[in-house]
Amino acid sequence: MGRKIRPHIEYGSEFELDLAPLLAVMVKLVPVLLVSSAFVQVMMIESDLPQVVQAAIEEQEKPNKDEILAKIEILPLKDRTLEVKVTKGSDEKILRVPASNGAFDLKAIHNKLVEVKTLNPKVFKIEVRPDAEVSYKEIVKVMDEARKSRDIKNVYPVFDAKQGKDVTTDFMFPEIVFANMMEG
Amino acid sequence: MGYKKRMSGPVKKNSTFTLNITSMTDMFTILLVFLLQTYSTDDVQIIPEKDVNMPVSDSTRNPIAGIKLIVGKSQFKIDDKVLFAMTDLNIPTSAIDPKDTNFIKPLFDQLEAYNKTLPDSDRTKGRVLLQADGDLPYQTLRKIFYTASMAGFPQLKMITLVGGN
Repeated sequence: MGRKIRPHIEYGSEFELDLAPLLAVMVKLVPVLLVSSAFVQVMMIESDLPQVVQAAIEEQEKPNKDEILAKIEILPLKDRTLEVKVTKGSDEKILRVPASNGAFDLKAIHNKLVEVKTLNPKVFKIEVRPDAEVSYKEIVKVMDEARKSRDIKNVYPVFDAKQGKDVTTDFMFPEIVFANMMEG
Repeated sequence: MGYKKRMSGPVKKNSTFTLNITSMTDMFTILLVFLLQTYSTDDVQIIPEKDVNMPVSDSTRNPIAGIKLIVGKSQFKIDDKVLFAMTDLNIPTSAIDPKDTNFIKPLFDQLEAYNKTLPDSDRTKGRVLLQADGDLPYQTLRKIFYTASMAGFPQLKMITLVGGN
């Protein structure tokens, strides 16, 4: 039985981690990501709808309904006044939102559209008829105000055929049609 | 002078030294996390044009595939091809059909050519992605909508920047 040779272990010793390979990977990865990253986020405007709302719009477009749904038109005018025209059968009502400091009063427009939606909860489609002089960015802003309710308390009932019951949505007028596109 | 020379120790030539790269690795790790967060995995990449100051919207829908119409202050482009130069945010009269003031002839021809070559299964069929400057008046947009729908592209998707309220 010879004497056992025990390896000499140095406890509490310091060692240096070799970070060079990690750095090499990062140096390659960072330029690749820099080239392919999207720093400006872009989105798209169209019917951005949950399926129940989409079904409600399709239901609205079906003819032969007992209930006559209102036709809602919004007219952004060149003096930056917004007119909301609500037609139900032979009854036509025109609501006006005057301009504020030479621009569309977006908050007042939103409140007016909430009022209109509350009176017509089954209507999800509106027609936009902007004046020729109104700019694209102003039209987009008005469309933003019409699309969704900003207050979480303002929700509207929609019948979900899959669940067989009424559910609520914060979408007001998600389907927006440019009605005067074909006019001269 | 002589004192300084005597006090400075022996100069080691050809000696190796270890570079401390820990802080550099930290910096790269932060950068990597940031870039991974901004990395977009969408199948449609929209690169904003210099000339086009797109409107800001609170829409949250991601862009989908379509024929790209880029309408800036100075140029009208379809995909990467310049169709004509704009005049004061308007379509030049040379591009308008004299019989129909809403009809943009070069745009119609180009879209019609696309429509003929694209198979029915193509995802871009009938769909136009409009990247337009926010200052364009509606009268210019209306001409574009009208011509696109006449050429068989009724689905108009408006590209906007993220922002809003």
